[in-house]
Amino acid sequence: MGFWNKLLKIDRRWIYTIIWLVVMIPLLFPFKIKPMAMPPVTRLFNYIDTMPEDKALVISVDYTPDIQPELHPMCIALLHHAFATKRKVGLLTLQVMGLGLGEAAIRQVTEEFNAHATTHEDSIINGEDYVYWGWTTPIITILLGMGERITNVYPVDYYGHRTESLPIMKHLKNYDDIGIVVSIAGSSIPISWVNFANTQFGVPIGCGATAVSAADYYPYLNSGQFTGMMAGMKGAAEYEQLVADKFDELGIKWELRRKGTEAMSSQTAAHIAIMIFIIIGNIAYFVTRRRKK
Amino acid sequence: MSADPWTWIAAILTLAIFSFLYKENPFYRFAEHLFVGVANGYAITFYWHRVLVPSLINPVSHGQKLWLIAIAIIGALYFTRFIPKVSWLVRIPIAVVLGYFSGAYIPRAIDAQILQQLRATIVTRSMFANWQSGLWAVIIALGVIATITYFFFSAKRKGILKPVSRIGIIFIMVGFGASFGYTVMARISLLIGRLQFLLGDWLGLIH
Repeated sequence: MGFWNKLLKIDRRWIYTIIWLVVMIPLLFPFKIKPMAMPPVTRLFNYIDTMPEDKALVISVDYTPDIQPELHPMCIALLHHAFATKRKVGLLTLQVMGLGLGEAAIRQVTEEFNAHATTHEDSIINGEDYVYWGWTTPIITILLGMGERITNVYPVDYYGHRTESLPIMKHLKNYDDIGIVVSIAGSSIPISWVNFANTQFGVPIGCGATAVSAADYYPYLNSGQFTGMMAGMKGAAEYEQLVADKFDELGIKWELRRKGTEAMSSQTAAHIAIMIFIIIGNIAYFVTRRRKK
Repeated sequence: MSADPWTWIAAILTLAIFSFLYKENPFYRFAEHLFVGVANGYAITFYWHRVLVPSLINPVSHGQKLWLIAIAIIGALYFTRFIPKVSWLVRIPIAVVLGYFSGAYIPRAIDAQILQQLRATIVTRSMFANWQSGLWAVIIALGVIATITYFFFSAKRKGILKPVSRIGIIFIMVGFGASFGYTVMARISLLIGRLQFLLGDWLGLIH
């Protein structure tokens, strides 16, 4: 058996080992990469950055723990952006498995901000600056119900408080008070937001998608049904970069943990390795086919 | 290295799942079954505490919204699936759910996913405000027409249909390539996430 034949029949565990090493080594010894924000990410960032101050950002935490590495950094970056620019935030999840992830994200970011806050105005307060509505079902009832009155859909928040008693809800009654909904999902939930909130109520929709779904969502960007989109971990890293630049612009000195950006050297190395595998695999295929003839 | 026992449990379960890459083994099967059980238990708990208790049990037990009892009975008919003699009753809740969701979904889906998508493929003068957007608009319109032509199976591919459907298959292949590239990125991202956890949160080698 020749070299190319052996290569075509290589034990796949060797491939796994190489990929493990290629991903692991840059995590231990990273090389610096500054992500360049692509137009879909920039559009989303700019929209949130410039939307009227009385409008809230709603983040729909529609992802589950299995795809957390790709999507959780997006949620964190959005919260950093919103709180740095003093936006009111509403969080909800349409996936029961996303409940804990939404809570973890809001807890992490509020702790970061509050650790550096010196006044009440600087602090991020539950019920005043943000509300976590939690989860309920079914999706259609939620998406249509929020167009009438959010407190009817979510009578109590995640922590068990009556939503009508929360100060933030005085100015957050229905879709009219929402500047944009960003659905971060690994499923087709962002399309449900488009179908109901955007088509019926005209609410702008942003999307944070897993890379697998991203190709399917570009038509919605092209049609304007999505205001902007973050695609996969790279999209998260791009948004993190824009937020870091915003922090510099606002004079916020403390350092952000940027998990998406930290992963980019591993991602780059793995992509190069896979491209090499594809090229070698194709050469081996054509060489062995010619020999068979 | 982490002193948190939960981090250790998560790390050991992660390694158990990864052990499948070597070969099928009892550690992998244990972790897989544990995950399925925990995920279902978690979901059922929240359905009970966040949906059934506040939306059905609390109001009915206080004598309010008694009509919910009828809805609950219709919903409970799903369980007739387990009794062969009356299993046909399951069609009632299925019909109710199907009717409600079809009525709510179809009109909006036609608007959002067909009409608005079609509108986005129409080339207008405003799209040529700069040459790049104009070029992309023409490419998108051509791509849509060529791809739909490729899936036009009720006529033989000859004459004008033949070259246009050939162009269609090129667009489809480019789409597949983009999807495959994104899929690779997604899978690698998931591996990175787990390694960030193992090397960072568990072993403390990255900060």
